[in-house]
Amino acid sequence: MTAATQVVNVPEGDSVPEGRIGFGAFLNAEWIKIRTVRSTFWTLVSLAVVSIGLTVLICALSADSLAKDLAETPPDADAHPDELISVGVVFGQVAALVLGVMVMSSEYATGMIRATLTAMPRRTSVLVAKAVVLVALLFVIGTVVAFIGYFAGNAFFENKDIGVSLDSPGVTRALIGNGLYVAVLGLFGFALALLMRHTAGAITVGLAMIFVVGSLVSLLPGSWGDWVSKLMPGNAGGAVTAARQYDDSLLSPWVGFGVFCAEVGVLLVLGWWRFTRKDA
Amino acid sequence: MIVAQGLTKRYGDKTAVDGVDFTVPSGTVTGFLGPNGAGKSTTMRMILGLDRPSAGDVTVNGKRYAQLAAPLHEVGALLDAKAMHGGRTAYNHLRWLAASNRLPRRRVDEVIAMVGLGEVARKPAKGFSLGMGQRLGIAAAMLGDPGVLMFDEPVNGLDPEGILWIRNLMKQLASEGRTVFVSSHLMSEMALTAEHLVVIGRGRILAETDMVTFINQNSTNYVRVRSPQQEALRDLLHAEGLQTSANGDGSLRVEGANTVRIGDAAGQAGIWLHELTLVQSSLEEAFMRLTADSVEYHAGVPGGVAGAVPGAVPAAGAGAVPGAVPGAPPGAGPGTDPGATPGSAPQPGGVPGWGPPQAPGSRQEGK
Repeated sequence: MTAATQVVNVPEGDSVPEGRIGFGAFLNAEWIKIRTVRSTFWTLVSLAVVSIGLTVLICALSADSLAKDLAETPPDADAHPDELISVGVVFGQVAALVLGVMVMSSEYATGMIRATLTAMPRRTSVLVAKAVVLVALLFVIGTVVAFIGYFAGNAFFENKDIGVSLDSPGVTRALIGNGLYVAVLGLFGFALALLMRHTAGAITVGLAMIFVVGSLVSLLPGSWGDWVSKLMPGNAGGAVTAARQYDDSLLSPWVGFGVFCAEVGVLLVLGWWRFTRKDA
Repeated sequence: MIVAQGLTKRYGDKTAVDGVDFTVPSGTVTGFLGPNGAGKSTTMRMILGLDRPSAGDVTVNGKRYAQLAAPLHEVGALLDAKAMHGGRTAYNHLRWLAASNRLPRRRVDEVIAMVGLGEVARKPAKGFSLGMGQRLGIAAAMLGDPGVLMFDEPVNGLDPEGILWIRNLMKQLASEGRTVFVSSHLMSEMALTAEHLVVIGRGRILAETDMVTFINQNSTNYVRVRSPQQEALRDLLHAEGLQTSANGDGSLRVEGANTVRIGDAAGQAGIWLHELTLVQSSLEEAFMRLTADSVEYHAGVPGGVAGAVPGAVPAAGAGAVPGAVPGAPPGAGPGTDPGATPGSAPQPGGVPGWGPPQAPGSRQEGK
């Protein structure tokens, strides 16, 4: 084995670059990290396949009956093709949650958090860099996936002359809302992982909150039950992903999304507080 | 230069590191020695800002770790070689590390070549052996060409070639003027690489000294003598003013290095000797004695610490030092300052193993 002769000769940190390593370097490092593990690739592929596939499938299967309902005189008031143009995200979102969890929990599971914090000891900056990379990636992928799903699914509607145009109320907002929702949902998983430091635990809690608890609370009696249901993260945040609100009990799209962001924000602050104060 | 002042770490009511003060100077290899659970890793984690001290302070180049402008340019650390994502390739692991401190990508290729991982650099790290993992960890530590290097138990699990490589690397790094701080629970390993010693036990500093002083203060000599006329021999030695004690195996232990005197006296008195051996306690034994009260987890070995030390057999030293590969000069004594010729790239097999002057030859003194 050759020794270190050829590469090392600058002791005592003479090679320190001017000034402090900036946030850009942290972003770059986290961007390399997220790109160089397979789990990122596979979660994003499943996000795309499930979301697009489900949207296309449901549009294709319902195009015929929707066309008939709308051809009646008067047209069926409950037939709304625009309800379905981004329906796939209901299940595709699972992948976004998983990716968000993994970005943080894998650091603890592998012990890599120590390498991360040795290279980048400013913990708040590390956290922000990770979150920015995650949100940007999920927003772009989520939005692109939603548009692809819309164009592919809407083709079946066009075929029956019941196509939904991008100009229709709420459509563009819903498609961009898909990107926004999966991005913040990823952050939701990220915050859970930050608090629990455990992959399976964080995914389980996240899924339970979105799918199980979110549905069960609607069984609670009275108006406070309605409110708890409205405020559950998945229920509040999900409204922005649909062009037409199929459930009147939900908050309106932007109000709901705001509530969702606030909830995730609270979790993030708790996670940040723990991350910056506890031993790694 | 690493300076710790009153550094303390408590977990609940257990104190892992208890107000330690020490200085790790540049230009030498400083050994951080202590039994398992003594607080070595916790101390190193505090140096790197991973754990927050309960009290006290530790600085690297005069600053707390978190205040370093570009930490990888100043400090390289190998704490846990397996602390990386197994699905990522070695190359990509080093690439994000380099990016985080604005190091050029060519540095990644350089350190990969330096540690000899070129062939596997594009493979996922989960397939790496322990030795390959250690090399990758060292590549990561060297990435920023730092002036301060820290290695936590770097030779654990390595094959002899890897051990030798790490030893030489550490000496060379120190000879280039860098600060090299290396922890170990093996005194024998430290004796081969370190010039300066910080000994820790139960979270307290037991000794901070240079290696030569430590050896002189802590190594003791005695003579083991065996005779069919043991009673007569003991009386004779007492009359000579020598201290004796029974060794338990039918031999006598005589304090001091007095083979000639004992042999002559016995000869004149007409007492037969069956064995006359100078026993030099190994550094390992000295270390065990020093830390005897501070070992966290005692194995239930009867007979106390000293007797249980493998290194305490006759001819302790070069031959007993793991990794003192065949060919190490047997007579390299305490006068041969370990690492006194840093940077001279010791030849494989020619590492100046520290051993007592009379190491394997001592048996010849028996009659």
